[in-house]
Amino acid sequence: MAETAPAISAHPLRRPPGVAIVLTLLVVVFAAAAPSFISSTNIANVLVQSTLLLLLSLPMTLVIMTEGLDLSMGAVLTLTSIIVAIVSLSTGSMALGLLAAVTVGTVFGLANGYLVAGLNIPPFVATLGTLGMAQGLALIASDGQSVVGIPRSVTEVYLASLFSVPLPIVIGVVAYLAFHGLLYHTRFGTYIFALGGNREALTYAGLSPTKLLIAVYAISGAMAGFAGLLMTARMNAGHPTAGLGLEFDAIAAVAVGGTSFERGNGWLLGTALGVLAVGVLRNGLNLLALPSSIQVASVGALVILALFFDGLRSRS
Amino acid sequence: MSAALRIDATPSRDSPTPLLELRGICKSFPGVKALNEVSFAVWPGEVHMLLGENGAGKSSLMKVLCGAYNADAGEFIHHGTKVAIASSADAKRLGIAVIFQEFSLVPYLDIAQNIFLGREPNGRIPGTIDRRKLYRDARRVLDDIGFDIDPTVTVAKLGVAQQQMVEIAKAVSQNARILVMDEPTAALSDRESELLFRLIRRLKADGVAIVYISHRIAEVFALGDRISVLRDGRRVGEVDPARTTPDQLVRMMVGRSVDISYPRNFAATSGKTVLEVVGLSTSTGIADIDLVVREGEIVGLCGLVGSGRTEVARAIFGADLASAGKIIFDGHEKSGGPDEATRLGLALIPENRKSEGLALMRSVGDNLVLAALHKLFPSGLFEPRRARRVSDDLIAKLRIVTPSARQTVAFLSGGNQQKVVIGKWLAAGARLFIFDEPTRGIDVGAKAEIFALIDQLVAGGAAALLISSEQAEICHVCDRAYVMREGRIAGELARAELTEENIVRLGMHHG
Repeated sequence: MAETAPAISAHPLRRPPGVAIVLTLLVVVFAAAAPSFISSTNIANVLVQSTLLLLLSLPMTLVIMTEGLDLSMGAVLTLTSIIVAIVSLSTGSMALGLLAAVTVGTVFGLANGYLVAGLNIPPFVATLGTLGMAQGLALIASDGQSVVGIPRSVTEVYLASLFSVPLPIVIGVVAYLAFHGLLYHTRFGTYIFALGGNREALTYAGLSPTKLLIAVYAISGAMAGFAGLLMTARMNAGHPTAGLGLEFDAIAAVAVGGTSFERGNGWLLGTALGVLAVGVLRNGLNLLALPSSIQVASVGALVILALFFDGLRSRS
Repeated sequence: MSAALRIDATPSRDSPTPLLELRGICKSFPGVKALNEVSFAVWPGEVHMLLGENGAGKSSLMKVLCGAYNADAGEFIHHGTKVAIASSADAKRLGIAVIFQEFSLVPYLDIAQNIFLGREPNGRIPGTIDRRKLYRDARRVLDDIGFDIDPTVTVAKLGVAQQQMVEIAKAVSQNARILVMDEPTAALSDRESELLFRLIRRLKADGVAIVYISHRIAEVFALGDRISVLRDGRRVGEVDPARTTPDQLVRMMVGRSVDISYPRNFAATSGKTVLEVVGLSTSTGIADIDLVVREGEIVGLCGLVGSGRTEVARAIFGADLASAGKIIFDGHEKSGGPDEATRLGLALIPENRKSEGLALMRSVGDNLVLAALHKLFPSGLFEPRRARRVSDDLIAKLRIVTPSARQTVAFLSGGNQQKVVIGKWLAAGARLFIFDEPTRGIDVGAKAEIFALIDQLVAGGAAALLISSEQAEICHVCDRAYVMREGRIAGELARAELTEENIVRLGMHHG
């Protein structure tokens, strides 16, 4: 306890740049190995393809900051992408499809939140249960088949541009800014840090950790619903396994991005960089024409590598 | 004895009515009267010291003050009017803030966000925070208490002392007029403590009343305007530090009634050395521990909770690694972990017998042979009849009250569970028993039986190291005792010197 200002960095957001190092390495390696990698078309391609993962990884960051987990995200996305397909097919309206998807996603999120915060079921188990239910409903709703014949208004979401910037990139940037504002500039965001860091502090301050936690899971479900629209637009169909395993990519992106699974130590920009690292890795391996099995293994290796760099930093 | 020392001093006070007065507060838990008719008052601008041994009722009193516990009886008078403290909101409204040893801070928020958690100034858009005002207000609060630090620093980067300052800033920002602090210097260095004391004097000058719980005699005298001593849930007296000596205080604190009727036969001559510890240190906070335990002896290890007693036990057992020093068991230096300790004949009977000492959902018989599996069944094959014979023998020998060896341990009483733990190590052939608070949570009759059993063990050639917060117990049953203070052995007391007063004197920062 020094009486004069101690030599402590006043920048709470300064982080070990493991994810930045890894992302740079990946870009350099792929640029050298595949010249087409740094073409502007390909870079736009990486960004467009990363949007979907970003839409899941942003709320996943918040959930993980509460020392929780949402394994149901990929399955809820599958279900809502089928709902978008069915609703837009029968009504011809993209907006109604989106509304239905976000509603269903939010219901799943509220259910997760209630199971975790209200009934004290461990998040891993609770969201594994809802994962199964969402996946099952997706199979029932689609009858196990792809739902095709999607109206153009839906596919436009993926193909259109705004001021010659592809719409998915615009959506991704807006989503990032919205989450950044939410986490760092609102009361609710402040309380997310406390949900993982010290729930008692919230109780002492007269706030309800239960309600706050339910809200975090609800946001997660709503975002999975929104991402369902993008998925259907991208596939030009509602596919009953569209979101399979996406929750693992999202958890990987969050982990690569330097968010800790304990004590509410989260970093939203790191998550965005983590999403890019995963996107660059998949894209680069594609360009090198490596099989997709290698991609899956590489994402795993990526997580370990990024955490390794962070570990090196924090030890020194 | 202590009645003569009850100096009901009435020092001159600036204010005629106390800020807060407690009258006849009682609080009971099943089997314990935690607070018994405690009356107590704080005046603005004074530090009221609360002193007492482990379990004297200090934390219960603190929890009643902050609304975490509801008193069974008694009344609170705030500024001359009767009030209720039924919740933490009530306490907050009355201006009472408690700073626990476990802080209520959020590690990855910054200082300003922590100070105003739940009370953030509103920004222009609903739900947002006016960050400029937040940091400006935080700066003002920090200036008020004289803590020169950037309010944008993340709390996780702060040391314990700085985190404590943030807690105090938080309390001050909520206009706390009564600040309750639980052993605030427990984790601070001397220099940090000095800064804390300066802050306390500053708060006093502002008319804040401070209730300060401490174990350190020196700071009690340095800081206290009044001292209340608690013992067994009662306030045994209030004294004026200017007219009291440390020795008088110690005498007020001790004198708990001895509730063990078991008479021990003290051996005239001591046997051969079983355990010798030389200069033992660990990263868990104990340093330079020297101690000896001989055959036929019960050696006490006492000191305040947190003084390092359990850490010494764990290090001897090999559960924590030694960073320096030697542990010599039966003439051989021991270096391995719990495996080796068990094989050599060391038994640790942990404080938390339910989670660490017993397989609670298994039978009495299973538990009794658990530590002796290697010895009983060297081939690796379990022989139920043999196990049954061993466990029935132990049940009879230790007089464990159970319908049969098949009874689930969880359904036994505390005293009988403790016997099962002891029996388990007997079966394994243990020669040195380390008991960590063996009588906690068991009734008086069972206590006597446990001590009879320990006596029986050492009379049969074993040795025992007994950790207990019940100083009366130590004095009653031990041949010798070591007293710990802040991770070190503060002194050794021979049988003739073994009194509660001596233990307290050595265990506290004094004498």
